[in-house]
Amino acid sequence: MKKTIAMLLVLVMVFALCGTAAFADEPEGKVFNIYAWNEEFKGFFEKYYTVPEGVTVNWIIVPSDNGAYQDALDAALLNQADAKDDDKVDMFLAEADYILKYVDSDFTQDVTALGVNDFSNAYKYTVQAATDANGVVKGVSFQCCPSALIYRRSIAKDVLGTDDPAEVQAALSDWDKFNAVAADAKAKGYYMTASFAETFRPFSNNCTTPWVDADNNIQIDPQIEAWMAQTDEFIKNGYTLTAGVWDDEKNVQMFKDGKTMCFFGPAWYFNFCMGNAQDPDKGCSGDWAICEGPAAHFWGGTWLLAPAGTDNPTMLADVMNTFINNEPNYGSAFLGGQNDVAVFSEMTDNIVWENHTIYDQLLNEGLQNSLQEYYRGSVDQDTAMENFYLYVNEKYPTIVTPWQSHSKPSRGEANASPLLKSDRNV
Amino acid sequence: MNEKQLRRNQKGVSYSKWGYLFILPFFLAYFIFNFAPQVLTIYNSFFENYREGLKQVGPNFVGFGNYVKLFTPDKTGTINILKYTGNTLALWLLGAVPQILIALLLAIFFTSYRLNIKGQQFFKTVIYMPNLIMASAFSMLFFTLFSNVGPVNQLIQAWGWSDVPIDFFAYKGTVRGLISTMNFLMWFGNTTILLMAGIMGIDQDLFEAANLDGASSVQTFFRITLPLLMPILVYTVITAMIGGLQMFDVPQVLTKGKGMPDRTSMTLVMYLNNYLGGSKNYGMSGAISVIIFIVTGILSLFVFRTLNKKD
Repeated sequence: MKKTIAMLLVLVMVFALCGTAAFADEPEGKVFNIYAWNEEFKGFFEKYYTVPEGVTVNWIIVPSDNGAYQDALDAALLNQADAKDDDKVDMFLAEADYILKYVDSDFTQDVTALGVNDFSNAYKYTVQAATDANGVVKGVSFQCCPSALIYRRSIAKDVLGTDDPAEVQAALSDWDKFNAVAADAKAKGYYMTASFAETFRPFSNNCTTPWVDADNNIQIDPQIEAWMAQTDEFIKNGYTLTAGVWDDEKNVQMFKDGKTMCFFGPAWYFNFCMGNAQDPDKGCSGDWAICEGPAAHFWGGTWLLAPAGTDNPTMLADVMNTFINNEPNYGSAFLGGQNDVAVFSEMTDNIVWENHTIYDQLLNEGLQNSLQEYYRGSVDQDTAMENFYLYVNEKYPTIVTPWQSHSKPSRGEANASPLLKSDRNV
Repeated sequence: MNEKQLRRNQKGVSYSKWGYLFILPFFLAYFIFNFAPQVLTIYNSFFENYREGLKQVGPNFVGFGNYVKLFTPDKTGTINILKYTGNTLALWLLGAVPQILIALLLAIFFTSYRLNIKGQQFFKTVIYMPNLIMASAFSMLFFTLFSNVGPVNQLIQAWGWSDVPIDFFAYKGTVRGLISTMNFLMWFGNTTILLMAGIMGIDQDLFEAANLDGASSVQTFFRITLPLLMPILVYTVITAMIGGLQMFDVPQVLTKGKGMPDRTSMTLVMYLNNYLGGSKNYGMSGAISVIIFIVTGILSLFVFRTLNKKD
């Protein structure tokens, strides 16, 4: 009896050993799953990357509208440990607005350990963005998107007397100058910008504090306050419109009959989103130029991130090494011959990636949406901020806002509401 | 024992088991897809359960914590859920009252043997048409029509009624008006057809008798049509109300989920959706669902009681 048991045990051990050995020798997964929100990267991937033999690349493309992409990706990542090898996420794409949510989590892994080490040509901020709080790099930048001040040459000539990028830049190099020029533009019958939120990114990208402090209290950065003050002034004086960044009301300002001098956006913005303006019948192609503007900033950008638990680590590293720093080169006939690539590379050095939180995207959006009602004249500023805080608490129960009834009332406000006293103090 | 058997034999063959068998699929589907989720929703509403980024918080049992949170006034003393309940009812009433009145009027016209309107099929199809368009597509259409650079504002400016575009989305009245108009347009055809069916179910002899006795149209309506139409009318009002309390797609798409201005067009389900989108807050949204369920129940009972009163 003992003998049989001993034999069995030995057999089990042998099988177990063989099992692990066989597993270690097993080639990588046959299916490489890539999560993305549009076809853009797929195009580059198919053009520049040779897929190893026997591997099928499976694209899971979910549009990012209303957070649908993140919802699908989150569900897959949360299921990563239980998923069959062929269903595991092997690589996913992320944008600047929400990259931190993934980088600062255990769902992504160190790419240097996988063999992605050469960041020599990468811009500093693109590496910072993919680095977690402990300094571990979790992905690489596929496309970085420094954003420029895009101005209408003819209007600049009328307002500033020049359309030369260097001279326009000198005239608009800080916010005081920018605001002063806005008044001049108005005097000549132009708008400075076409949306109340047009200058949001140049301010918010340079914040000196994150959205929440160490105790999870919400804080409004001086840069955000400066944006609010500027926009308030711009709306009151008619320097800008109450339209959102993507609204039709702003878009018509890019056409021939548009009266707006400045837009802010990266290369993809004027190449793809100002499409109507490029239409020779409607638009004013060639009547545009770019310069850095009052503050260095970026908009969008795509990172390739390495999910934990991929069954294709070698191929993942291989893909990342292929695309690291591979920036697409756009043409610039639209800009009247200006060499935009040179301008953008110079600008990128000034971009910083600091003070970001996982809350950035929704908080930036929520603040703009709430304040838009104030700029449209529907509510006063306090009510707009109150609605913003309500929104914040609906999305993030743990962030403490001044409007939460269970937060400690400050001295002056202790008697504001009799209902507060009976409140639980959490 | 014997007595029982005897009684059973006396009854003869029972076919009722076939009846039960035939309705079984519905009840199975109801239990799996309606009842079970409903119970789960109530269960979930007692838990703290949400996601922050990729971090899952809970589920932790908090008792009535979520409900307490919903009914806790904010710094200004507003209990937000009451505000959104008010919004929902206001939006529903603004659309439903004209909807039922006009539908009733149309139903009477179409069924009147005196008027004998030609081309009924055509009109019936046309008034039902708006209901075939997806609510979200319809809302996007209205959003574009009434935007600051949309055709409506272009007309207003071309006709010289206003020099600057009218910002339809900046005022409570106009936003609510637009939402109600859309709901009205989408649903009055459906109500008309239901009410027509109801009126046609009334014995025509009664109308003829009233006519012979010299009753006016108004008298016929209030003394014959309305009382006999009551069961259908109650059904219409209650279903409309259930739909109205769950109003979501039209205001959500028209205001891009913001319920502007100042959250005055935010309905209960939009509020629920705020908690669900992004943070997957099943606890809070479960609690809101339960509240909607209770409010719907109470209001339906109220409508049923008042309209079904026996004289």
